[in-house]
Amino acid sequence: MSTLAQGTIVVRPRRIGATTATLLAGAVALAVGFALPLLLPSKIAMSLFAQALFDALLATSVGFLFLQNGRISFGQAAFSGLGGYAFGILVARGLVGSEIALLIALLLPTLVAFLLGLVIARVSGVAHAMLTLAVGQAFYEVAFRWRELAKGDDGMSFDLPRRIFGLSSRGLQDPAFMVVLAWCLLVVVLVGLALFARSRIGMVTAAIRDNEERARFLGYSTTLPRALVYALAAFIAAIAGILQASYNGYIAPQMFHWTVSGYALIMAILGGAKFIIGPAVGAVVLFYVKELAGQVAEYWPAIVGGALVLVTLTMPQGIIGILRLLWLRRPPQ
Amino acid sequence: MLIQILNGVVYGALLYLLAVGLVLIFGLREVVNFAHGALFMVGAYLGFSVAAAGYWWGALVVSVVAMAAIGCLLDAAVFRTLRKQDPMVTVLVTFGLLLILETLVTAIWGKAYLRYPTPTILSGTVTIAGSPFPLYRLFVIAVSIAVAISLSAWLRFTRVGLYVRAASTDPRVASIQGINVDRLSLIVVGLGTALAGLSGVVAGPLLTLSPTMGSYILIDSFIVVVIGGLGSFTGAFVAALLIGQIHNFGAIYLPWAATILPFLLMVAILIWRPTGLAGSRA
Repeated sequence: MSTLAQGTIVVRPRRIGATTATLLAGAVALAVGFALPLLLPSKIAMSLFAQALFDALLATSVGFLFLQNGRISFGQAAFSGLGGYAFGILVARGLVGSEIALLIALLLPTLVAFLLGLVIARVSGVAHAMLTLAVGQAFYEVAFRWRELAKGDDGMSFDLPRRIFGLSSRGLQDPAFMVVLAWCLLVVVLVGLALFARSRIGMVTAAIRDNEERARFLGYSTTLPRALVYALAAFIAAIAGILQASYNGYIAPQMFHWTVSGYALIMAILGGAKFIIGPAVGAVVLFYVKELAGQVAEYWPAIVGGALVLVTLTMPQGIIGILRLLWLRRPPQ
Repeated sequence: MLIQILNGVVYGALLYLLAVGLVLIFGLREVVNFAHGALFMVGAYLGFSVAAAGYWWGALVVSVVAMAAIGCLLDAAVFRTLRKQDPMVTVLVTFGLLLILETLVTAIWGKAYLRYPTPTILSGTVTIAGSPFPLYRLFVIAVSIAVAISLSAWLRFTRVGLYVRAASTDPRVASIQGINVDRLSLIVVGLGTALAGLSGVVAGPLLTLSPTMGSYILIDSFIVVVIGGLGSFTGAFVAALLIGQIHNFGAIYLPWAATILPFLLMVAILIWRPTGLAGSRA
């Protein structure tokens, strides 16, 4: 608990078959994904779950930054928003083909995060939290004020191009298709992150997170790997933003707002930010709690804030941490 | 021109009142209070209820006293309890408090924008360099300068001020020397929060009241604190004036870029000096 910002995860020696196991779990999860339209009872249920998955991707991005970098971000919505805006604006103006638009929408936030990471990565702890909040809000301000960009405050609707990668793009606004797509992307991202954590560069970033000075002493450049983690996290956030924008056919400055970043961070902590899968679980749980809390939605921020205080103080390992504890303590059979 | 500079100083003065509270709390507790903006907002609303009844100066007193009490409570319940934890734990808890306070204020006063009355004695204008200038804005500058001077005097010339400076440099050594850091922190966090309440009431007639007013000014005061260097009073003063000017001149000469100029300045300064203008502590 006392080392919340410096991860306490011990990098275990490579087990034989760990990679295989991860890939296998991923394959099973993908198979489940294709069955989702059959498992969920209605279009509404699919639509809700798809939106929960968008949240899960953004929360995973925040969690990854914490897990691999030890940095808590209050501004991750900057990158999901940037992805969504880049895609929406390029498509709406027909400046480039839809495939190129998608590519730009993925790479622009990644590049921006990498460059920002070179600056921000040098700042740690509390100052870092303040900085990310401020930087994230800068993006919001631009999207809010710059009316020529995408109608400023009002937000902008756009029509999807008819075909993307030779396929009809109508699926992007169909809950049954979107829920499968979002699930599969989330699975691929989670598997990718698990493999990253075991890779050489993943080990280096974990070493830098745990003791930057020692890593530097061992001869590693520390700023570059940190910036790389920022870029990867932003890439994941961009996926979330693009999915959300194309599903809704709408972009608005609210996508950048600090509350979006803040909630993503809370989801990550609630689910267990020390586990790769934790933030995604937290996001889905929080999303459905919000749906259930329909009548008291007015007091929603206070409920989330209270949950954050409670979780931080009493169960910092989050939902996954508690489940793991229960699993380890299970009575012998 | 002079009027424009003065307008910038007014906003800088407000930012200073908030930023200095953050700096005070950071000095003793080494945490940044994310709920500081929300406390500013609560102070403004508390004051509004009193001021709407016609007692503007009463609002000032009520808000400052109430916020001081809330600050002491905050220190005792949150900062002291969590002092052995990672600072980020406290930051997260204050972030939760921010959400709770915003909801609470929305539930009590509603979401609508409210207009604050200006005290009658200060409602006139004065002529400066041939142009009229609201007297109230001069009053804001005066309040801020008074706070800056009395705070520096308190820190420099009194025994408690000496203790605060010592504890800000190194809380552990200070407590070995016999300073009761917890009691000191109660005073300092109370004072910092009272300043948030003060700036809330003072800002009332200048800004419109809304439950989100706190988060906007919080981000600007974060920029001030980061540019000035965490924990530096002088840095906060200089940075607040700087951001005030940029805020104002940006709005006139570069309206399309006005809102992001402070952010750009912050990034530029961090590239140049990662610990801020006066920063010695990261």
